[in-house]
Amino acid sequence: MPSDGSRSWPAVWAILRKECRSEWRTRYGLNAALLFAVASLTAVTFAAGRLPDRPDLLAALLWIVLLFAALSSMSHAFVRETEAHTLLFLRLVASPTQIALGKLGFNLLFLLVVEAVTVPLFLLLTGAPPLRWAAFGAVLGLGTLALAASSTLVGAVIAQSRNRGALFAAVSLPLLLPVLASGVAGTRAQWDGLPVAADARLLGSYAVALFAVSLLLYDHLWEE
Amino acid sequence: MSAVAVGVRAEGLTHRYGRIRTGVARLTFAFEGPGVVAVTGPNGSGKSTLLRILAGLLRPSEGSTAVTLDGRELPRTLRRTRAGLASPELAFYDELSGEENLVFAAEARGLPAPARAAGAALERVGLARRARDRVAAYSSGMKQRLRLAFALLHEPPLVLLDEPASHLDEEGRAAAEAAVRDAASRGLVLVATNDPEEVRLAERRLALVARGLGDPA
Repeated sequence: MPSDGSRSWPAVWAILRKECRSEWRTRYGLNAALLFAVASLTAVTFAAGRLPDRPDLLAALLWIVLLFAALSSMSHAFVRETEAHTLLFLRLVASPTQIALGKLGFNLLFLLVVEAVTVPLFLLLTGAPPLRWAAFGAVLGLGTLALAASSTLVGAVIAQSRNRGALFAAVSLPLLLPVLASGVAGTRAQWDGLPVAADARLLGSYAVALFAVSLLLYDHLWEE
Repeated sequence: MSAVAVGVRAEGLTHRYGRIRTGVARLTFAFEGPGVVAVTGPNGSGKSTLLRILAGLLRPSEGSTAVTLDGRELPRTLRRTRAGLASPELAFYDELSGEENLVFAAEARGLPAPARAAGAALERVGLARRARDRVAAYSSGMKQRLRLAFALLHEPPLVLLDEPASHLDEEGRAAAEAAVRDAASRGLVLVATNDPEEVRLAERRLALVARGLGDPA
């Protein structure tokens, strides 16, 4: 007898594992994200050299690389389902909220893997000044959470639309600007020896707010 | 698994796609399980739309539908947990094997023994030998067998099959027929089809005409 739908976690866990297995087999997003990160870092290093005395530029560069490396792949998590016509399969085995939570978990994991490669490479190639690890970790962690929540929401919203390209830009920009602004400000502040609590709080609150809005929205997004 | 008294009914059911195109219009019927009901009608008469509404995937524009189990109405959002749907639009993950797709579905549905349930469903439709091949390597007929296995995976009391024998060879048709008879002994099976062989499986018939002005015959 199947679950009555009240126990969500087995479905969320199954979707997360399925996403990981599919990504591992196809390397659909990971290769593209890592290629973008490595190529852009290498190009900037060739052009500008090492920038240990420019924390403002370094902070912006880090978040731009993370944002674009991750976004192009993560927002397609739902689009892939639509294009491969597997969304019906998913909808028959899980509720929209369970699907979105599974995708959010995968996006979070995906970002962590991208960051595990990108951040050390960034620090090495740009000659960045020493980090205040706790402050940097807080900004990066909460920023990652906000980035994953916003890209999952964007992906879910645009997946069913015919004009996905235009909608992607229109929906992404307002949702991602607060993440980018606070991430850059917080990262710069930790290099400048300033407190990061305000930026970290903003990132955390934004992630929680997006998550809450998403939970309210997901059940209605695919209503036909 | 013990049999559950299952029923489906619709009252004044209408579904429109956009403002103009009508899927089904003013449809009223009631069926109780066990048994097989053939849903017939010309192309575009709303057979597939009706199955999607009963599965809880589509919200009707007007009217209402109900699925009852032992006399209790199942909420629309939970119908997918008690209904099994196989339709031509149903696609699986190409990068996973047939077995992996079904194990994933069983895990997501919270079945107690996902691998065993997947194995039994694949065996039932004669796909066990190719269970570990990736879906990308399946023929159209094998994909159709996988759809049937998916619909029967959780042994649902309500089975909704849209053209179940399409792309199937003789052996596949025999397996599908046996699966339908088995499911019909436990619950209610609605088969959307115009294939005379599939219609013969049914003891009742819902004929949709033109824009779906059907009544149980």
